[in-house]
Amino acid sequence: MTKTAKGILWVIALVIVVLIIVNVSSKGGKNSNTASSTPIKIGFTGPLTGDVANIGQNAKAAVEIAVGEINSAGGINGRQIEMVYEDDRCAGPEGVKAANKLINVDNVTAILGSVCSPATLSFAPIAEKAQTPVLSYCSTAPKISESGDYIFRDVPSDLFQAGFAAKYTYNTLGKRKVAIINVNNDWGLGLKKAFSDAFKALGGQVVLEDGDDPTSKDLRTQMAKVKSSGADLLYFAGFPDGTVAGLKEAKTLKLTQTIFGADAWDDNKIWDSLGSSADGVMYTRVGTNSSDAFKTKMKEKLGNDSIVYCSNYAYDGLKILADAIKTAGTDRTAVKNALYSIKHVNGVSSSLIEFDANGDPKEANYVIDIIKNGKAEIVK
Amino acid sequence: MDILPQLILNSIIAGAIYTMIALGFNLIYGTVKFFDLGYGALTAVGGYSVFYFYKTLGINIYASIILGAIIAGIIGFIVYKLVYTPLRTRKSSGMVMLVASLGVLTAAQAIIAIIFTSQFQTLSINAGTERVFTIFGGVITQTQLITLVLGLGIMIVMALVFKFSLFGKAIKAIGDDEEVSKIVGINTNKIIGWVFFIGSAIGGLAGILIGFDTGIEPTMGLSLLLKGVIASIIGGIGNVYGGVLGAFLLAFIENFGIWKISGEWKDAIAFGVLILFLLFRPQGILRR
Repeated sequence: MTKTAKGILWVIALVIVVLIIVNVSSKGGKNSNTASSTPIKIGFTGPLTGDVANIGQNAKAAVEIAVGEINSAGGINGRQIEMVYEDDRCAGPEGVKAANKLINVDNVTAILGSVCSPATLSFAPIAEKAQTPVLSYCSTAPKISESGDYIFRDVPSDLFQAGFAAKYTYNTLGKRKVAIINVNNDWGLGLKKAFSDAFKALGGQVVLEDGDDPTSKDLRTQMAKVKSSGADLLYFAGFPDGTVAGLKEAKTLKLTQTIFGADAWDDNKIWDSLGSSADGVMYTRVGTNSSDAFKTKMKEKLGNDSIVYCSNYAYDGLKILADAIKTAGTDRTAVKNALYSIKHVNGVSSSLIEFDANGDPKEANYVIDIIKNGKAEIVK
Repeated sequence: MDILPQLILNSIIAGAIYTMIALGFNLIYGTVKFFDLGYGALTAVGGYSVFYFYKTLGINIYASIILGAIIAGIIGFIVYKLVYTPLRTRKSSGMVMLVASLGVLTAAQAIIAIIFTSQFQTLSINAGTERVFTIFGGVITQTQLITLVLGLGIMIVMALVFKFSLFGKAIKAIGDDEEVSKIVGINTNKIIGWVFFIGSAIGGLAGILIGFDTGIEPTMGLSLLLKGVIASIIGGIGNVYGGVLGAFLLAFIENFGIWKISGEWKDAIAFGVLILFLLFRPQGILRR
């Protein structure tokens, strides 16, 4: 036998072995999700590693709690929930990979995810085409509203958040001239536009718009431009890493502007590493309706009491999906239709969640945090 | 406030960081003549070593920094011995070396992420309380000043070593022609081993200083390395002064480039400059 023929035979043998292993381990393959006694598969995507891994891991813990509660109460119509967790590292390409795997390989009934708007936006068209309902628990980019019939979220769009921030800074803080720095991705660009529109509509002035690459940790020149811009407010829509670097540099340059951020700053990692040097910094975050029971369970699971608000929405999101599956069965289109008429009350995120025609929540509530002595505190 | 002094200082700060990266990279490239992408990961190795010694174990800051640089050097040396030496004795092409070093970079990043998680970490104990110097209305921190002094210091030492010591001359000879160097009796393996140790230690030191200035993450290496490579190429690859000149030129172009336009253009500007140089002056400003 020639060397090439031998090689080809080896590869064929290897492929056959792999196929057998895959077949045996998946116990019957694709149709398993329709049989009545087998578990119902729900996919989860989130950044389990990388820049915002903290948020993803936190949300995963909340989902595990929700699944545990449903399963120990007998599951959905007698069927247990089986979660498939995928890591999208908060980025588009990995989001597509994760969603493709969940839809095509795991054949999930619905996807809970993702945290980051770039990831959610990247796989939304795929899920839409595959007619798989997606419920994001943390993606706030305005563009998600238009991304399809099957795409839902239980957290409010940034349009609400930026509008809320603009009103607060203009009316309550009395700021008139704003400089905006945003991280150059869907989330940051969405916030920049929404804030600048809302601030201008109130009568304010945008004196500087600047941005930063998501991978860059050098914002010195941007901060120097802010300092000399004559603004009395810096609206800084940054991700945690860039924020740590940017706020450090702002402090070094002795920026006098009030610095105001958005919900990505609801991350203790930032304030732990900056300490009291970030005192006075404020940001909006989505309000929650957290219960003591939920807090206790999260503390048990995490070993500390830092709950990212997304986790509340992830917990409710899983409950909402379970409710929809309960009424509609595992047919994905039926689940989608059921989601539009869902009315989730007394969740840990919001007291009432209903979806509008875009799959967005009808109501939104926000709170403002300020950093005091290196710790985030609620204003008012 | 006038922005100009700060812009100049920002450029000098960024230039100091690129200088450190370019110096180590240039030293290795100039000797073995292949693009060692794995060098990028050594910035993270240095940074995370200090993170472990200084923040986790609580060892003295200066001891931690020296240990961190030495560990980066040792890892660089081990990678050379285990990965690059066998490939070089097999006379592998530059392409194979490049791919192998990409493998080293990716594997090292993954291992660091597994040990320390991918979270962005700062090395300084209390951010924002650092000593700050004001120069003509611009601000520079102590860490940044140390980076600048160290970068220029290493450049001078390297230049002196190349010029006056036998060791430096041996490195230069190997860079010119490795085979002939062997024939005239230079122990090339030993010298190249040292080059990898020293170059990697410089890279590690750069990572450490960046960690004190802003912060570290496992994937920090690649973008830093690319900036170092751009600096080396526009300055004159393999040339000590060229790397430094290129580093500062790049930093000035980057920071002044985003003076009037938005900051996300920085990388587009940096790589645009690289392409212009490759097209019109591929040998860089200073020849080797």
